[in-house]
Amino acid sequence: MGPFPAHWIRSLRAHVLLGVSAVLVVLFGITIFALDLTFQRSTERALEELLDAQLLGLIALAEPDPVLGLTLPEDPADSRFNVADSGLYGALWDGTGARIWQSLSLLDRGVDPGPLPEPGERRFTDIVMPGLAPARGLLMGIAWEYADGKVGTFTFGAMVSLEPYTARQQSFRRNLIGWFAGISLAMLVVIAGLLGLVLRPVGRLERQVRAVEAGQRSQLSGRVPTELKGLAGNLNALIDTERRRQARYRNTLDDLAHSLKTPLAVMRTLLGDSGRTETAEDAELIQAVDRMEERVTYQLRRARASGATGLGMEPVKVAPVLDDLKLTLDKVYRDKAISAEVAASSNVVFLGDAGDFTEIAGNIIENAYKYGRARVRVRAWNEDGSLRLTVEDDGPGISPGEAEALIERGSRADESVPGQGIGLAVVREIADLYQGQLTVGESDLGGAKIDLDLRRASYDSERM
Amino acid sequence: MRVLVVEDDQVLNRSLSEQLERAGYAVDRAEDGREGLYYATEYPLDLAIVDLGLPTLSGVELIKGLRAEGKEYPVLVLTARDRWQDKVEALKFGADDYVVKPFHIEELLARVDALLRRAGGWAQSELVCGPIMLDTRSQEVRVEGEPLELTSFEYKLLEYLMLHAGEVLSKTQITEALYDQDFERDSNVIEVLIGRLRRKLDPDGRYKPIQTLRGRGYRVALARGNDAESASEETA
Repeated sequence: MGPFPAHWIRSLRAHVLLGVSAVLVVLFGITIFALDLTFQRSTERALEELLDAQLLGLIALAEPDPVLGLTLPEDPADSRFNVADSGLYGALWDGTGARIWQSLSLLDRGVDPGPLPEPGERRFTDIVMPGLAPARGLLMGIAWEYADGKVGTFTFGAMVSLEPYTARQQSFRRNLIGWFAGISLAMLVVIAGLLGLVLRPVGRLERQVRAVEAGQRSQLSGRVPTELKGLAGNLNALIDTERRRQARYRNTLDDLAHSLKTPLAVMRTLLGDSGRTETAEDAELIQAVDRMEERVTYQLRRARASGATGLGMEPVKVAPVLDDLKLTLDKVYRDKAISAEVAASSNVVFLGDAGDFTEIAGNIIENAYKYGRARVRVRAWNEDGSLRLTVEDDGPGISPGEAEALIERGSRADESVPGQGIGLAVVREIADLYQGQLTVGESDLGGAKIDLDLRRASYDSERM
Repeated sequence: MRVLVVEDDQVLNRSLSEQLERAGYAVDRAEDGREGLYYATEYPLDLAIVDLGLPTLSGVELIKGLRAEGKEYPVLVLTARDRWQDKVEALKFGADDYVVKPFHIEELLARVDALLRRAGGWAQSELVCGPIMLDTRSQEVRVEGEPLELTSFEYKLLEYLMLHAGEVLSKTQITEALYDQDFERDSNVIEVLIGRLRRKLDPDGRYKPIQTLRGRGYRVALARGNDAESASEETA
């Protein structure tokens, strides 16, 4: 397989086409050879019959001649004998080998018949005549019995040029090869077409797998040929296993969160119990609990982010998530009476894990509610394979220095608002999984503008 | 104010309940979802605190259940998972606010206070009815700007009445809101407290802040302050 490119060696289509081509070449090669041989044989037989007839015609015209022994008329019956270079030639030799007659078609050219046959002998031979195409000849030796009882030996010769026959043979061969080449080509095209038809479900399966991987569908579906049912079933099972594995992983994390945080809450409430007098140790314990909480919260949130565009994910519709978040935050920040505006058309999607997106958007939008005075604006759209989300508020805004610190891992811009630092740092960590870019700027509402560009989170532009 | 705590961790449940009681609430306790739903639908509650990760019936199911029964009191969710999807789901199905574990007890009490206030149609922590101002956050009461000293029970009673200013509250309702279930219902404690409150708020009998509607209950009939109007517009 050396001369073929590597991907050909693994291609079913290439295998089949190469195999069929080889079979066709061998099969048609043999067929062409056999037909050519048959044609050649029949041509030769026709040639011999023609020579035979012409020779007999010449013999029939022979007359005794007192000087030469035998003579032939100037114009024998077949006119081709009299036309120069017509391709049909005749000659007569006497017993000594001297030529005593030759047809006008030979003009003045000599003919070398080779050794002459014995009387009664017929011999086909290839004859070379100078200045003429190769010819086939029939020589026949005869014993002529004169009226006076004497007997003379003569040799009659008839020759026919092979040129037209060779030409016909060649054209036959060309036609033969041409037809068979055409048929082969047509067969290859038909087979390639059939292969395309046969392999189409494989291609569809492949595209579906790619779509599943890209998070555009959650299962392989559609009609699958019997031969591929097993494969499709196994793939679906694999997808399912992966999905369940991920769910189990998250449940484990959730259990861990629950089992770590409830005791922390117990410690907090016991320490913060207003019925107790607070000692210096209490303060230290409270600090320790705060630190534990911070670490646990941060690490668990980070671990839970999957960044999955992977198996079994469906595209997340962005608008309902944003609406739900607005509803939630409107309730939680009801006292602030924030007027929030959400602009996202219904076809905006996030290719990835729904939990990841809710986490990102929830943290950013909650910050806007927290710091905004009266207005919050949320916009989301798809653009060249990325999902863009901007969240603006009319709060005090974030200075460039603060912004840098805020996006840093686990840092806190405002110690008085717990969870704030963790919020944006978690957003950054999750955004990283989707090749996201987080920018902090100024909004025309007067406050901060958070701009998030999730580059791996939408369809490629040509598929949009 | 009668509060239900549904939390499966016994230590947290007990400690939380004690602190709520210390803050003046009557507290009912449940340790799993089914028990919680029973209390939530059968008891005359003013607020429920529900942990999301409960045995037998999840917190979200519990909230759905009590809302389906037509209960409209505020629900505060406790969650250890701190996941936006959980918060969104809980609030979508009827919760009003959430607190993430582990929480500071002060924060939880502030949220409870705010929820009760909002449920009464008040947008701010300062409740104003006529000349009376009650700050639920600092638990301070002023009449015509002058600070007024009240006992803890008197304060709770006034807060309850003012939160529901304009509504008629039966003696049973008031009793249940201020005391645990083992209280002796036939006693005249409420009448006595109302009498004391009237004398303290209105020694000259000028405002008549608390009306008695014979056979039906009591009502604060004074006009609510400005913020109450804006709050009722908001809820409308």
